[in-house]
Amino acid sequence: MHRIVLPDIKNLQEIDVYLANQGYYGARLAFQKSPDDIIEIVKKSGLRGRGGAAFLTGLKWSFMPKVTSKPKYLCVNGDESEPGSFKDRQIFEFNPHQLIEGILITCYAIGAQTAYIYIRGEYHKWIKPVQKAIDEAYNNGFIGSRMKETFGTQFSCDIFIHKGAGAYICGEESSLMNSIEGQRAYPRVKPPFPAQNGLWGNPTTINNVETITNVPPIIKNGSEWFSSIGEPKHPGTLLFGVSGHVNKPGVYELPTGTLLTDIIEKYAGGVINAKRIKCIIPGGTSMPPLKGDSIEGLKMDAESLRAAGSAIGTGGIIVMDEDTDLVKVLARMTKFYYHESCGQCTPCREGTGWMLKILKRILDGKGTKSDLDLLISIANNIDGNTVCALGEAAAWPVKFTIARFRDEFENRVNESIQIPVNNKVHSMRKTKNPIDNIEIR
Amino acid sequence: MPKFQIDGKEFEFKNGQTVLEVALENGIDIPHFCYHPLLSISGNCRMCLVEIEKMPKLMISCSTLAAEGMVVHTQSERAINARKAVMEFFLINHPLDCPICDEAGECKLQDYTYQHSIGESRFTETKNLKEKRVPLGPYVMFDGDRCIACSRCIRFCDEIAKSSQLTFVKRGDRVTIETFPGMQLDNSYSLNVTDICPVGALTNRDFRFKARVWDMSATKSVCIGCSRGCNIEVWVRSNEIMRLTPRFNPDVNQYWMCDEGRLKTWKHVNSDTRINGPQLRKNGTLAEVGWDEAYAFAISELKNFNKDEIGIILSSSASMEDNYMGIKFGKSVLGAKYFGYKSKVLKGSGDDILITDDKAPNTFGLELLLKSFSVRIENSFEQVMSLINEGKIKALLVIEDDILSGSEELNKTLDRLDLLIVTASNMNKTAEKAHIIFAASTYAEKNGTFVNVSGRIQRTKPAVVTSERERSLDGFEMSRLDKFGTEWDKWGKVNKIEARASWKILNGLGVVMGQKLKYNMAEEVFVDLSKTIDKLSGLDYRAIGETGVQLKLTNTN
Repeated sequence: MHRIVLPDIKNLQEIDVYLANQGYYGARLAFQKSPDDIIEIVKKSGLRGRGGAAFLTGLKWSFMPKVTSKPKYLCVNGDESEPGSFKDRQIFEFNPHQLIEGILITCYAIGAQTAYIYIRGEYHKWIKPVQKAIDEAYNNGFIGSRMKETFGTQFSCDIFIHKGAGAYICGEESSLMNSIEGQRAYPRVKPPFPAQNGLWGNPTTINNVETITNVPPIIKNGSEWFSSIGEPKHPGTLLFGVSGHVNKPGVYELPTGTLLTDIIEKYAGGVINAKRIKCIIPGGTSMPPLKGDSIEGLKMDAESLRAAGSAIGTGGIIVMDEDTDLVKVLARMTKFYYHESCGQCTPCREGTGWMLKILKRILDGKGTKSDLDLLISIANNIDGNTVCALGEAAAWPVKFTIARFRDEFENRVNESIQIPVNNKVHSMRKTKNPIDNIEIR
Repeated sequence: MPKFQIDGKEFEFKNGQTVLEVALENGIDIPHFCYHPLLSISGNCRMCLVEIEKMPKLMISCSTLAAEGMVVHTQSERAINARKAVMEFFLINHPLDCPICDEAGECKLQDYTYQHSIGESRFTETKNLKEKRVPLGPYVMFDGDRCIACSRCIRFCDEIAKSSQLTFVKRGDRVTIETFPGMQLDNSYSLNVTDICPVGALTNRDFRFKARVWDMSATKSVCIGCSRGCNIEVWVRSNEIMRLTPRFNPDVNQYWMCDEGRLKTWKHVNSDTRINGPQLRKNGTLAEVGWDEAYAFAISELKNFNKDEIGIILSSSASMEDNYMGIKFGKSVLGAKYFGYKSKVLKGSGDDILITDDKAPNTFGLELLLKSFSVRIENSFEQVMSLINEGKIKALLVIEDDILSGSEELNKTLDRLDLLIVTASNMNKTAEKAHIIFAASTYAEKNGTFVNVSGRIQRTKPAVVTSERERSLDGFEMSRLDKFGTEWDKWGKVNKIEARASWKILNGLGVVMGQKLKYNMAEEVFVDLSKTIDKLSGLDYRAIGETGVQLKLTNTN
């Protein structure tokens, strides 16, 4: 079995161990080729982004202008704030040098001399090993001006860690850039796209941590080697973060196209108490959930999941057994998107709060049947009308959970006995913001 | 030129123009909140979503560049539904307080609710509450509940006023606007945010709760606060000015005006210090008299002096018409030789946005006039004052200027005079020393022209009625209420100030003293004066129009 991103080598995070295992050899090889050759190799390998959209990495790099008077930048997205996703921190902790090597090769390919690794604020613990690895790489002449001697190349680049302050929206690539610039992390209106107008208005490429970490092995072993792993249209391995009602939750690196049932049964040790699966989210909470009885034979890759009515996302698999209260689950997920909506554009700013209020009311036994259609209608009104993809991220769980588990929601609102009291704004004037009182655990 | 389609019609566009810009240029109203023609594109309100063929998602027309062959639908079902959806989102947490909101009547959200919303609310939850009545600065009040987070005010401060004072804080539907810590919204242009705020979130602390928008008439005029001459509207209810707002003029002030001009150039019109009818000094104290008595007294007094003993102080704040008549009366009736005006330049008080150093609106025009009559300009005021000190000038006519203000040392100079005649709208230090005061109309009560710092001639129009104006042939800009006044609008019943335009006062004196021409309307004066100044030749009030005319300048200006 191939493990590309997290090889089974002890203490690989130590630079000596990394060097003993062909460390920085990929970069050495890359610098002997032309940047265009690197882009071509990555294109041919079929590597697709691991941050959620599964966009072709080589194609993204080729959008960077070849001739420009402006500096170019690489941003490495380690914000990893999608609920259910916890894979990048494994790389930070256990294989940071491969990430750094990937950054060097990527910077060389796109012509960037500065790279920022954006790491979410909550990852204090994982910032330290990355910074240690960067320092070691500097000391050994793998980063910075000494690269020229080390690798015998004219190219050099610098790598900085930028620590976020803890906001989901910073994982959106244009917000991430605003955050690095010191601005409020509002997503930018696109176009212009980052390759034209990114960090400080300069051409910028943004890649996920896992994507970049895949690059050195591709350079070392060739594009054909990589494209032969897993599903041909979405080759390589993925870091599947399995959580929820399984016996062995954790991160598993497996080839794309591995059966979802295999991941749960063979690797994650099966469902706790061997219960049936009611619902499963295959790629982080933003992705549409699937019914437990519809996953037989489902392969985990972008194409197969799209065909099944969901998406690969970040590969964060959340397993929910037959006893799970999905109304509560949906309310909790909606609370997350409500809390993390940046507030810039209207549909998401207002819609997330509205959906949460309705779901909370249903949870309190004050729901009506029309609430379900209203929720779907609100979600549809958000979907596609926002500045960034957080709109979809908030709308999809509501839309698809209600659509796919309608019975459970209908049962809940049918049990409701209390008649809701309409808008009480005047009598509420002296209270705190009413939504602050919403507690969902 | 490249072409594209909006709603089945073909339009030409320039490269770089957005769909919304082309639509607005051609009279197609795509609703929008956050877009403002002079601010950067933020694209956050999502109101201007349109359907564009071959694009999977709806696109915001404010940021989408027009492209050759593009096909845009603003009235397709998807576009209409998106607008309804966005309106619904705007309204769920927006307070239904239009009846007490100052913005009502000129509120974009209110208008669009009628035009683009589904007309009922599906929202049965409790509305979010935010901070209300937050003074952001000396002039602007913020209501968080009403804010729709369009960021126009923030972008205005950053981009136009060039002082970043406002920012969003918090996230999601808790998002609200605050000043940066330790800061106030106190830049010189802060009140413009109340104009561009599409809802009633930002209101003018000077105006709020004073009048409903539809109860006022708005008269197009020009600000007299400095030599920029920002185009304004004068809002009047019950014959009182309630507020000024800037009026769009791409060649002068765009959409903006400064706070100083907005707040401090009209309070005197409604003030208690107004001079109500002519006054004569009898036994040392000033007493109100009728116009005829004042005229007769002034004429009999003026006859006691030789030509050389009379000085005339004109004003760079007075209109072309007033100054013209001042010169004409002085030259051809009194035969006076000494004319002067007091400069109102405050060095360093201007900025590079709108405010100029010269606090007078018509210095340029006055100097044009003086030149055309070959009157000395440099140090003209100082010359007149020193001639008074030397005892050579014994009678002084001051037209609409408080020459003592800021120059207390001139007190003794004026004491030497045997006769001081002033035309003034409000009691001031100079008027207090006068022997004869003629009550003058303010700029808000008369037709007049002013030439701004860059040589653009612009008009003021009467917005407030004086008792003279009631019978005037000179056009008023009528509003609906002026024509059909309701019983709640008191303008027909209020007290009107007994005042006349300075040109009319001087023309009245002149006619009795042998001046040939009698003028009935300000425009007659203007047409006459336009013949004496080459640069104005051929102009009349219609030609000047609402946004003025740039005079042809030569190096000798």
